[in-house]
Amino acid sequence: MKILLHNFRIGMAILITKLTIFFLRLFGRGATTLPGKIALKICPSLFSDLSDRFRIIMITGTNGKTTTARIISGMLNQAGINFITNKSGANLSSGIATTLVSSLSLTGKSLVRTALLETDEGAFKILAPKLKPEIIIVTNFFEDQLDRFGHVYATLNSVKEGILGTPESKLILNADDPLCASLGQTLPNSVDYFGLADDVYPEDYIKASSDIAYCSNCRSRYDYSSNSFGHLGHYKCPNCGNERPQAQIECTQVLEYDNLSSTIEIMIKDQKIAVKLALPGLYNIYNALAGAAAGHLFELKEDDIVKVLADIESGFGRMESINVEGRTLKMILVKNPTGFNQVLEYLLTQKTSCTVAFLINNKLGDGTDISWLWDVNFEILPAMQDTIKSFYASGTRAVDMAVRLKYAGIPEKNITIEKNMQELINSMIEASKENDTLYLLPTYTAMLEIRKVLKERYNLKEFWE
Amino acid sequence: MYELKICHLYPDLMRSSGDRGSLIALYKRCQWRGIEVRVSNISINDPLNYNDYDIFFIGGGQAFEQSIIKEDLNEGKKHEIIEAIEAHKIFFAVCGGFQLLGKYYRNSSDQETECIGALDIWTHECDTRLVGNLVFEVDFLSEQDKSLRGFENHSGKIYLGKGVKPLGQIVTGHGNNGQDGHEGARYKNTFCTNSHGSLLPTNPAFTDHLIMLSLLNKYPDFQGLTPLNNELENRARTQGDG
Repeated sequence: MKILLHNFRIGMAILITKLTIFFLRLFGRGATTLPGKIALKICPSLFSDLSDRFRIIMITGTNGKTTTARIISGMLNQAGINFITNKSGANLSSGIATTLVSSLSLTGKSLVRTALLETDEGAFKILAPKLKPEIIIVTNFFEDQLDRFGHVYATLNSVKEGILGTPESKLILNADDPLCASLGQTLPNSVDYFGLADDVYPEDYIKASSDIAYCSNCRSRYDYSSNSFGHLGHYKCPNCGNERPQAQIECTQVLEYDNLSSTIEIMIKDQKIAVKLALPGLYNIYNALAGAAAGHLFELKEDDIVKVLADIESGFGRMESINVEGRTLKMILVKNPTGFNQVLEYLLTQKTSCTVAFLINNKLGDGTDISWLWDVNFEILPAMQDTIKSFYASGTRAVDMAVRLKYAGIPEKNITIEKNMQELINSMIEASKENDTLYLLPTYTAMLEIRKVLKERYNLKEFWE
Repeated sequence: MYELKICHLYPDLMRSSGDRGSLIALYKRCQWRGIEVRVSNISINDPLNYNDYDIFFIGGGQAFEQSIIKEDLNEGKKHEIIEAIEAHKIFFAVCGGFQLLGKYYRNSSDQETECIGALDIWTHECDTRLVGNLVFEVDFLSEQDKSLRGFENHSGKIYLGKGVKPLGQIVTGHGNNGQDGHEGARYKNTFCTNSHGSLLPTNPAFTDHLIMLSLLNKYPDFQGLTPLNNELENRARTQGDG
């Protein structure tokens, strides 16, 4: 009787969730999280109930989750594996429940066996032990939205706790991030590490930020023989000897590097492949390596991995490019200091005239505290005065952003505050000439707003598609 | 030509959310006035002689980082910091750095960790974090500048002893402990706050007050700072939460 009732609950959850999705779509809404919320209300044990119906691949970490998920989607497609995935950054419990339930038949059978789930670091702790993923990919740990998560070590511990509940999961970890690698060094799970070989950075590579991490075992300052950005690099503890683990998937050379792509050499176990990666920036090389590691686990051939990496386009809002009125408009999401620094570094590769707008909101989805802007190294921007003609500050915290630019050494006369996003686009187009590049760098909720504006004006496609 | 030397204590460890913004503000507002300013990063194992500097700055940090620096502080820096504060050096401390200057930190399981004891203040960890916008009024700035705006994020409730004044009185937010209406602490030329990131950049009169005090310390005949255009900063300071 108990089992029957339980099955009835799952059935009800599926039925009502599907109905909710249907009606939300009917009225033109995204339907990415609300249906899952309802499903979890009806059947709180939903995740544990569903875990054996799916082969789950989970991606978590501070930066690069969405792009890595995009790359792994490519790998799965190439391997001919049918899969479902959560889109549009719907990476909390509710979004993941929506994704899983929508792929079930009304009788609860999973029509697709594989689920690729981008998972928020906070939600991971609860979800991983219930869903028991086959593969867990952790990209990196950086300071992010401090007022929500507490602190970076709290985030690390939360992910660690999640993995403790699923010792059978295979881990793919960033060897260059001492915090991330410490998971593999202290947990019983089997691990594949990815990373950049010692000092392989491009010739004219300018670092926007560099941090030293402290040993997780004995709290001594690590020695670095090379450092890619933030606290990532080749580190070794002078006291206890704890060091960057050997990477099984490693970028051994950066052959070409510009504002559109990079050409790199990757060692996968003992095989060497050359890849033209259709994504710019060093941070995307890390994402590509994580993707290649997953591709390797799916037993893809080297040629297939090369093909996927060459064809990839960046994820939702992470880097989008559209043409508007003769100008190239590029949008890149910024959400924490390290990611933002990577974007600024990327701007440095821009050789032709451009305009840059920072769209800074401080709503819940962005983090209500904007203090983190002071950890972003805008001080590298004055060096670009020949290419960047003017700066715009927009969003709810436009004025704070303008103050930040002023203190980074940008003359006040080159900074325009325009909170209204319609006006922002007008003004940027007016002040630029044909073939210029217009960069929009929004925080999460600012991205949703500006997309709405762009969608109405230029017919951008719906984001949940 | 005036010259100021700033000591940034433990920049690689005590640097929670944007604290270095306040250091950038001190630096830039000196630079814009032609005041020569040098910042020295002093961290683990670096020697410290308090007489070498005019301004001291320490940001916030997490438990892991604080446990690293406590050992280093006990190997000599602790006394230099106490001497600096007693010698009326300008000392600006944020959040974790603020708590560290006090007598002790008591965690939620009632365990006490000794802090350096430079100020008669103490901290009790509480279960809920005190997070949000912070507006408080200070008594050492002019009527139009006295209302300061920041953002707080701390789990420690801080209490002040007799010899220490609050930095200001809360208008909006929790402040030191959410009970007594106090924000921060003030003792001689030491200024402590719970506010991260943009406290000094968006409260330029406060920043200038610190610069002026440090110049007066060093150059007793100092005549006052050249005014700067603060329109943008004041617009950020007085904007709503929207």
